[in-house]
Amino acid sequence: MLRIEHLTKTYPNGTRALVDVSLEVPAGQFVSIIGLSGAGKSTFLRCINRLIEPTSGRVWLGDEEITAAGPAELRLIRRRIAMIFQHFNLVRRSSVMTNVLSGRLGYAATLPSLLHRFNAGDHADARANLQRVGLSEKGQQRADTLSGGQQQRVGIARALMQRPELILADEPVASLDPATAHSVLDHLEQMNKRDGMTVLCNLHFLSLARRYADRVIALKAGELVFDGGPDEIDDARFKEIYGEDAIQVEIA
Amino acid sequence: MSPARRNPTLAAVLSAILPGFGQMYAGEWGRGFALFVGLPAQAAVFYGVGLIWLIVPTGMVWAWNIWDAACAARGGKCPATGPVIVLLALNLVAAWKVTDIHAPELQKEQRNVIGQIIGGLARPDFVERRVNEQTATAKYIVPGPGAPESVEQKPRVPGKPYLSVSPRKAAKGERVSLTGSGFAPNQSGELILLGADEITVGEIETDAAGAFKATFDNPRYIPGDYFVQARVEAAIGGWELSETLRDAAPRMLETIYLALIGTALSLIFALPLSFLGARNLTSGSPLLKLLYGLTRGLFTILRSVEVLIFAVIAVAAVGIGPFAGVIALAVHGIGALGKLYSEAIESIEHGPIEAIRATGANQFQVVVYAVVPQVVPQFIAFTLYRWDINVRMATVIGLVGGGGIGYQLIQYMNLLQWRQAATAIWLIAGVVMIMDYASAVIRERIG
Repeated sequence: MLRIEHLTKTYPNGTRALVDVSLEVPAGQFVSIIGLSGAGKSTFLRCINRLIEPTSGRVWLGDEEITAAGPAELRLIRRRIAMIFQHFNLVRRSSVMTNVLSGRLGYAATLPSLLHRFNAGDHADARANLQRVGLSEKGQQRADTLSGGQQQRVGIARALMQRPELILADEPVASLDPATAHSVLDHLEQMNKRDGMTVLCNLHFLSLARRYADRVIALKAGELVFDGGPDEIDDARFKEIYGEDAIQVEIA
Repeated sequence: MSPARRNPTLAAVLSAILPGFGQMYAGEWGRGFALFVGLPAQAAVFYGVGLIWLIVPTGMVWAWNIWDAACAARGGKCPATGPVIVLLALNLVAAWKVTDIHAPELQKEQRNVIGQIIGGLARPDFVERRVNEQTATAKYIVPGPGAPESVEQKPRVPGKPYLSVSPRKAAKGERVSLTGSGFAPNQSGELILLGADEITVGEIETDAAGAFKATFDNPRYIPGDYFVQARVEAAIGGWELSETLRDAAPRMLETIYLALIGTALSLIFALPLSFLGARNLTSGSPLLKLLYGLTRGLFTILRSVEVLIFAVIAVAAVGIGPFAGVIALAVHGIGALGKLYSEAIESIEHGPIEAIRATGANQFQVVVYAVVPQVVPQFIAFTLYRWDINVRMATVIGLVGGGGIGYQLIQYMNLLQWRQAATAIWLIAGVVMIMDYASAVIRERIG
């Protein structure tokens, strides 16, 4: 479903964020990407939907090569890939409803969308998705009046609007408390198990990866250092990924 | 700064010959160069403005420079506070001379001007009493050839002002008595002899019943009949806007509108340009980078030229009047607003842009959904602030012919109408204060 070959990203300042990463993800898998801060996890996700242009390497979504797509084609591919962010990346001053509807922009006709006109189907979808994340009462509120967990759920509703095949979640719970983190990850799990969306999720905590992921891959200094089941990571592997001094922290 | 220590004596000798060379030798390039260029330049300036004696204290700085060179060569910390203060003081002396400050001038006729203005400010001419002028006329005769024999006395109408004269005939210098009635009570007025040359011949005070008695010595000698008039200005209660205010208020309104339209025109041009002047939106291609550079360059040029200069140019181009003021404000405002807008765009969060882009949205949708909501409150605040500034600016450009209250003010001053000028100044101050406050409150609200 997602095929990545020799993906490499070197920033203009010489930082090698990704070094020759190759990976194949079958449809419907929940893949957790772990690694230290700065290991290249965020760059990896952003190179898939080309929010960051990879230096070299190729990425396919199904039969389409994302890395070869022109601007218009790239936008069509991006509609199929939803993204969830650590800092939610909502437009704070806009209403929750507008934020959710903006997930539909890739599908909407340009001119009406610039006037904030969406069709009835999109509005119905937006209400359904808000209900799904438990925020049906909050549609008209400004996004920045919501708590962190609520904002991330708006982010999820926005992602759902795209009806994506693939979800890229960049540290979706790193800014949240443990209880809220679980509620957000439960939504991701549901989207994966019930709706069959493929999930690539960056996580700091191995315990969360173990709890939610079918498969864990680890990045260290931009290189893929582990690819396997969550249970295969023993102490030796752990120290290999996180360094000698690391100790495991459980998040309940 | 100086890695290797140098020979202090050599440094001192070098600086004694050429100021700053010792410091350069010791590795203090900046200070050395400043002294090398600065000291001769100072001496030249003092010579140029005709204060040759100032070169002597400048020599003290030169002496310090020798000590400083040795100090620098030793690698120590060498304070320069003393010479900096000395040079500052010397330049203040030169500035005093150049700007021609001449305190006694303040005590000549200019003091009169200042006094007039302050006096005017103390009692601005906003409102005046509504008055009713009451007059009554009576006729008397200077006898002689050609003079009428008698005059007809007007009939008396109850409730109307009435004036009677006695005697009816009076030669030059003879005393004439007047009795008036039916005027407003307790008012003052004057007695006037009508004719080609109107003369005031006395003052009158009406009593509680509105009557008065007065006398004057007849100044007329050519035989004929003459009219004497009693004129009482009665305040009939109530106040009305003064004539000054009635003249100045429309001009003030003109200034406010001038500033508004100037701001609006700036906005129309600055708004689209500001997106090209925001670095975070123009990093995509070399063409965009070039446009960024050009836009920012344009903003800087427009902003760095004072409104007043644009106003002088515009007055030359389209003539005296508010249109010239509008052009000046609009052109300068494009630069000022454009820069503020661009910086507002540059300071937005990148996250929402990334999120909207990730949904497959195109560039226009990204701008409308991720950029605009973030910048609109700041844009409104900056625009209001600009309007506020433009009202003050518009007043000044009025002085050079840009229309509005400023133009009115300079006319009052040219006509030496200090009280009217002071009234206009109060009006300007009031409007500026209100706008200042209102725009602050609104900016607070939308922040």
